[in-house]
Amino acid sequence: MKRKLWMLGLLVMGLFLIVACSNDDGDGEQEKDTDEKTETSGDNRTLTIALGSDMVTFDVHDHINTSTEAIHVNMFNYLVKRDNETGEILPDLAESFENIDDLTWEFKLKEGVTFHNGDELTSTDVKYSLERVATGEELKDYTNYNQIKEVEILDDYRFRIITHEPEPVLLNRISRIASGILPSKYIEENGFDHFLQNPIGTGPFQFVEWVRDDRIVFEVYDDFFEEKNEDWDQLVFRIIPENSTRVSELLTGGVDIAVNIPPADWDRVSDHEDTYLAQETSNRTLMIFLRSTEGYPTSDQRVREALDLAIDNQAIIDSLLGGAGVPTITRVAPGNFGFAEHLYDTYNYDLDRAKELLAEAGFPDGFEMTFHSPRGRYLQDAEVAEMVAGMWAQIGVTANIEFMEWSNFVELRNAHENEDAYLLGLGNSMFDAANGLDWYNAERFEGETDYRNDEVEELLAAAMTNMDLEERNEQYIQAQELLAEDVAHIVLHMESINIGVSEGIDYTPTMDEMIYVDTITRK
Amino acid sequence: MSRSLSMHGTAKKNSKMKRWMKLLFRSKTGTVGLFIVVSIVLVAILAPWLAPHEPQTIDPVNTHKPPMWMEGGDRSNILGTDNLGRDILSRIIYGSQVSLLVGISSVVLAGVIGVLVGLFTGYFGGFLDTFFMRLADSFLAIPNILLALVMLGVFGPGLLTLILVLGVTNWVQYARIIRSEVLSIKERDFIRAAKSIGVKHRHIIFSHLYPNVISSFIVVATLSVASTIILESSLSFLGLGIQPPQVSWGTILSDGRDYLATSWWLATFPGLAITISVLGIIFLGDWLRDILDPRTVK
Amino acid sequence: MHYFLKRVLEIIPVLLIITFIVFTLVFIAGDPIALLLPEDATAEDIAALQAALGLDDPFYVQYGRYVVNMLQGDFGTSFRYGEDAMLLVLERLPATIELAIASILVAIMIAIPLGIWSATKKNSSIDLLATGAAVLGKAMPNFWLGIMLILVFSVTFSVFPVSGRGSFSHLILPAITLGTGIAAEMTRLIRSSMLETLGQDYIRTAKSKGLRTGIVVYKHAFRNTLVPVVTIIALQTSTLVGGTLITETVFAWPGIGQLLIQAVNNRDMAIVQACVMVIAFFVIMMNLIADLLYQLLDPRIRYK
Repeated sequence: MKRKLWMLGLLVMGLFLIVACSNDDGDGEQEKDTDEKTETSGDNRTLTIALGSDMVTFDVHDHINTSTEAIHVNMFNYLVKRDNETGEILPDLAESFENIDDLTWEFKLKEGVTFHNGDELTSTDVKYSLERVATGEELKDYTNYNQIKEVEILDDYRFRIITHEPEPVLLNRISRIASGILPSKYIEENGFDHFLQNPIGTGPFQFVEWVRDDRIVFEVYDDFFEEKNEDWDQLVFRIIPENSTRVSELLTGGVDIAVNIPPADWDRVSDHEDTYLAQETSNRTLMIFLRSTEGYPTSDQRVREALDLAIDNQAIIDSLLGGAGVPTITRVAPGNFGFAEHLYDTYNYDLDRAKELLAEAGFPDGFEMTFHSPRGRYLQDAEVAEMVAGMWAQIGVTANIEFMEWSNFVELRNAHENEDAYLLGLGNSMFDAANGLDWYNAERFEGETDYRNDEVEELLAAAMTNMDLEERNEQYIQAQELLAEDVAHIVLHMESINIGVSEGIDYTPTMDEMIYVDTITRK
Repeated sequence: MSRSLSMHGTAKKNSKMKRWMKLLFRSKTGTVGLFIVVSIVLVAILAPWLAPHEPQTIDPVNTHKPPMWMEGGDRSNILGTDNLGRDILSRIIYGSQVSLLVGISSVVLAGVIGVLVGLFTGYFGGFLDTFFMRLADSFLAIPNILLALVMLGVFGPGLLTLILVLGVTNWVQYARIIRSEVLSIKERDFIRAAKSIGVKHRHIIFSHLYPNVISSFIVVATLSVASTIILESSLSFLGLGIQPPQVSWGTILSDGRDYLATSWWLATFPGLAITISVLGIIFLGDWLRDILDPRTVK
Repeated sequence: MHYFLKRVLEIIPVLLIITFIVFTLVFIAGDPIALLLPEDATAEDIAALQAALGLDDPFYVQYGRYVVNMLQGDFGTSFRYGEDAMLLVLERLPATIELAIASILVAIMIAIPLGIWSATKKNSSIDLLATGAAVLGKAMPNFWLGIMLILVFSVTFSVFPVSGRGSFSHLILPAITLGTGIAAEMTRLIRSSMLETLGQDYIRTAKSKGLRTGIVVYKHAFRNTLVPVVTIIALQTSTLVGGTLITETVFAWPGIGQLLIQAVNNRDMAIVQACVMVIAFFVIMMNLIADLLYQLLDPRIRYK
């Protein structure tokens, strides 16, 4: 018996040892932590940003994920970048660019740009990067880049991008997700897998480590081709999926910046003495897609208009979104090419007219419909859906909401099993009406929403390859007016970006939802 | 012999009843448990009459209204309102229906599967037994919540799928308990006797074995209702529980968790509802174990 | 030893059945193509990618391929991360094990005193209170407790860090959250086994010989509670690992639980499969070890 007790004792000690060992690493880090903490008072040079979900990959061409790109922009660069204030396209890696003819654009690279391993950036890297995504059918960004036919190298710094069709939005196209320029020599020598494990780019920060679903660590790159970042030595993105945990970390100073602060905590963050709330209107529109397929009540324009008129957009924004968010009738937001100002920051609300229209359409007592909505995907999406259904009830329309988990929701739409209406939030990283209004394209939505307006179709097709930008702009504005009149779908509002920031830090979010660490400074 | 086991005289029943009541009131936890469980069942049944409001009616003007005893609260919303202005008390009252429904029906489903498997495998043995026990081992090796999570991810969440999934994932514990009971009973004289005079297997299983093992089932099943209610709330937290417009305590709790720091009443009251009922059910289950399980009666 | 050989051999069909269950589920789930391609992909894009990934083969071909690959140590590639699924899972295992062990220690620290205390004062108000307290831990949904602990101990009193893994202090709140859940079962078992022991002849003899109750309890009866503790640790491994799903999400703890939930949400089935296999294997192993320990701790238990 005694011997057995001994063995048990050993076992328990073993367990403790394992814990103790894991604590040893921990203690090491704890010391580091305290070091950092003492620095905080004086000179904290590590910036910690809390995100809600992990990044997906370092393959810049193989994701369609805004929050992944928000990290990538700090270690990769595009040829050109879009100014978030003016919408103007500015040089980034490229020093200059010009449109040679309908199909050809010529660029000149800045000289002396280096990747994080010291290799200099040349036209070869550009050719490799753009052609990889323009021809790689298995890549997730392929469909947004296959308009590019080839990249023709003129010399080390000069090259031409040649497109299949006239491409008025080429510059927008190459200043967004999957536009990052990769190091071709490094990848050729080491293989792509090695690159994925040890990625390098040209950006202000270089990769240190990525612990999945925990953290991604970067450090400042001394030889950055623009000015080296003087504020931060280290950059840490921490993954904290639970909202309340993320907010708690911000309030206790565990992180410097936390994204996606839920409206419930806005006051807590702004009232707290050490934090403030930074808000900006995003480029993401929350919309209700209506089914125009024959047989559905929503195939009647009057019904669609009635549903739109029954929704008090401002009430939704005030009671659910803490007043942040902009009601809109069109899905093309300011800063986008083709923006129709008179359809923005306004909404139609008229209950009496809505009831009249319903009666005219043959539904004096309303009707019953199915309304699908994702849940937890967009800011207060489920709550918005429930409130919209409550508003429709006022004109006699009973909307049965079916909440769906995201992947099932995507499948439902792909299988065209969607019913009368569904809720969707759409971003637009191209900042161009072409991308935004493609959601009204009859061919693409055949069987899903079945909306068709031949006039709109013509305008969109003409604008797609129209190199006369002024005329193109007119075409898009005209299309949006037609769509608004038709109430093809109901556009609710532009979402707000809500970021919690420590008092000691200056940060203004940008509407493209990227996190440009170079714009985050210490006060 | 079998007769005396399956049939009891009325007098015997009465005395048993008395003994139970005596045992019940001797056990403090048992009394508390029974009281809680009976109240919850009553609330669930009487929900439409008890609830002061419709659980779904939203009120954009009265969101985040605190409970009546706090500043800003009033008698029309005793426990306050949630982020959409819905009455929390009414939601909790209606939520009890779904929570109990999920808890009880998934346990019944799991019980039916488990008891049948346990009876047959225990009685017949052989390949059937080996197969089902390996299957049981496999299910046991995968944590319940994990299997439920994957299945709900695959089939999509909803009330019916939830009940089915929880039923299918939980049958193992019943199968194992019943099987081991059957194994010990089937070697007893009265079963051997029945076999030797040529009574049909089916008759032996359902008339002789079943009545003798069912009390162990009841004990475990009661305790399972409690863990199922907890499991349902965990799945709600992961977004795979009951979907609105249906309400369960789990969904109210998990919807309210973002407001714990600002409007604490959104998540605290459903949390209390879960905690109290789970406590009650566990107490009741423990007491049932004491009176039904002959081994613990001392 | 023959018994253990048999137990070990039984693991093989069990693991096979598990692969079958999980693979069938994954197969029914359909392919993740919808999530892989951008929202404007065409039907041809989808078909091409399906063929490229071998997802258009019939069930038995896909299952066969899966098992053969698995035997060669290849558990597939994560769709989301584009990396070996098993490696990703194994990378996360230490964090989860660390949390699990810490939780068990918390549970033991709660359960042993509570169990003994309530057994010695059977049916008193103390018994009721102790049982109630233990059950309370189980009756509170994990995520609620976790968030409350953060709000109280991290935000209000700044005693512990909010989330993440790192120092010892990071471990405390998640371990309490998870540990209280399993303490209830443990307390109950310790209590009943104590009661059983206290009623036994040698204890009565010891008492009658005039030994003080305290000594009797701690010297003789306590030893016997070790068996239930070991039992419950083994039996609760499954619950414990299940609990980490919730706890890890609340505390942003980078373990298997979080990986798995992200994988389920993103239909990253290679990871789901690898996770389930690892967890199942882990649970089976714990049960085997528990069997071994029984023999060590209680000479009355002997396997043939």
